[in-house]
Amino acid sequence: MSATEEPGKPRNLSERIQLLQDRIYDRLFHNYIWQSIFRSGYPNTPRNQMLVVATNVFLHLHPTRLQRTHVRVTYTYCLGGLTFFMFIVLTITGVLLMFYYVPSVDRAYQDIAALETNVKFGLLMRNMHRWTAHAMVILVFLHMMRVFYTGAYKPPREFNWVVGVVLLVLTLVLSFTGYLLPWDQLALWAVTVGHGIGGSSPYLGDEVQTVIFGGFEIGQPALIRFYTLHVIALPLLAAIMMAVHFWRIRRDGGMARPL
Amino acid sequence: MAVQAQRQATAAPARPRPKRVREEEVLVWPDLVFIEFISAVLFTITFVILSVFINAPLLNRANLDVTPNPSKAPWYFLNLQELLLHMDKAWAGVLIPTIALGFFAAIPFIDRSRHMQGLWFGTKYSVRITVITIIYATVVSFGLVTLDAGDTRLTPLVDFKTEMLTRWIPSCPEAAEDVGWPCLRDEAGAKHLGIVSTKDFSKRLEFEVLGVNWPEDLDNIAWPFNDSIGDWDLGFIGLSNIHGWGGEHLNIPAAMAEQVIPLTLTIVVFPGLIIYTMFRLGWVRTRRDVMIVMYTGVIFGYLALTLIGSFFRGEGQDLIAPWNIKVDEG
Ligand code: HEM
Repeated sequence: MSATEEPGKPRNLSERIQLLQDRIYDRLFHNYIWQSIFRSGYPNTPRNQMLVVATNVFLHLHPTRLQRTHVRVTYTYCLGGLTFFMFIVLTITGVLLMFYYVPSVDRAYQDIAALETNVKFGLLMRNMHRWTAHAMVILVFLHMMRVFYTGAYKPPREFNWVVGVVLLVLTLVLSFTGYLLPWDQLALWAVTVGHGIGGSSPYLGDEVQTVIFGGFEIGQPALIRFYTLHVIALPLLAAIMMAVHFWRIRRDGGMARPL
Repeated sequence: MAVQAQRQATAAPARPRPKRVREEEVLVWPDLVFIEFISAVLFTITFVILSVFINAPLLNRANLDVTPNPSKAPWYFLNLQELLLHMDKAWAGVLIPTIALGFFAAIPFIDRSRHMQGLWFGTKYSVRITVITIIYATVVSFGLVTLDAGDTRLTPLVDFKTEMLTRWIPSCPEAAEDVGWPCLRDEAGAKHLGIVSTKDFSKRLEFEVLGVNWPEDLDNIAWPFNDSIGDWDLGFIGLSNIHGWGGEHLNIPAAMAEQVIPLTLTIVVFPGLIIYTMFRLGWVRTRRDVMIVMYTGVIFGYLALTLIGSFFRGEGQDLIAPWNIKVDEG
């Protein structure tokens, strides 16, 4: 009897559900549009798993395979990746903050105050931006220490370590330029301390104060300089350096391993 | 052209690379992507919760006429602000950080061996070296800062003030111009309890021995960091008025206190001491070990100074216990 039954015809409820699932799955993922976006099939075979990493622009920062020891959380503690993730969160929350902020001495403070009270999720966005910024500074130091204590700066990775040092400086300067923007007492006087430090540069003190801080006192010229550096120049530079950093990890033969 | 470039590329010295063992490799999808995803989710949740409960500070509107006391830099620069209290500001704020970053960048070019890479604490004694250096850097940083704080009570329990250590130097008599024995001149604004810091100490020391009148006789000697050789006119490259270091004349006591003493201590004496000791003990054996000591020292010295600047500096940048810090908003 059963041998003569047509294959694929559902016999009971669970088979019916199974069939329905397969149909939905087919409709969703085997249609023309989906396949025009994602070239590889569902990553449930090693081949498709490698293809999905290699063909996706975001995932292809990775190699398709990795040394088992490098995937272990206690090797990198995900620190570099998390630093990068903080950068992404900061970019998103930062763009949202930009919608409400005008970098003028007359408006900046009120804009921030209004953002906190009048804008839906404004306070949350500002808090997220602030705390992830602190986190990024801490994480970049921890990442650097991870790289140092695993000896991962050794040849052939010397240059990538130097790129890293540049990224460390960029992270600190990004954080510092952002510090002035709320234009409150904390911002003003913290940056005044920095202004004093810049002014003590041997031979070039006045020049540093004029070029970077826009004068001998923190005011509108300093605010607009810090704003421009903070929202476009430095993030752009950091993104470029990160691209170099990630590219070099791959070029240097992946992450460091004992010889 | 292309051929030449290719030849150049292949002529690069072959660098030994670790062999790939396929069996020891895992696929990035799903193994790594999963970890990355989970950690991103955890961080997102953590920061959303944190941001719901803790608000970013927003004080009064900026006002140049109202100076909060103390005014503090962001925490990651408080270490530099702390250094400012102990040495020449050009060194503290600009040159030392530059040297530190230069040192970081130079590490892979100094320690060039390929061995023991990709392993946590690869060399035999590296854990021991690191732990000892962490303790050493912390103790030395806190110790030097406390010693340099002069009239600060060292502990809340015992009434011992560091300035007692140097009380044996008498005060200069009010009237006399030149004094035979070393004594301390009271400066306007200086605290009366003897020495406040090495900076103070050296600026206020006076004596006249063997016909040398300290410090007046040294005032006009030229040296690179003051104006005595005149302003340098670099107008032709757009820097018309290059200034001296601080525009002062040679002030040997000040230079000793603000440059020579703090710099030799922090850059030469203390690092040298620990490296030499561990070298004699046979723990520091390779350049990698030396780098571990120096890097750990810089990072944890930086951390100690950050903590001091954040938690132990009150009004007027006085060294006080964290629970006594009050900020005068002006
Ligand atoms: C914005 C800052 C930075 C970002 C986003 C970043 C990101 C990353 C990521 C994702 C990795 C892969 C391995 C890992 O996660 O540990 C990595 C590796 C590496 N990073 Fe960074 N990094 C930054 C700063 C630094 C700094 C400050 C240094 C050192 C001074 C540095 C030196 C290196 C080196 C040498 C590697 C290769 C490690 C190995 O082969 O095991 N990076 N970085």
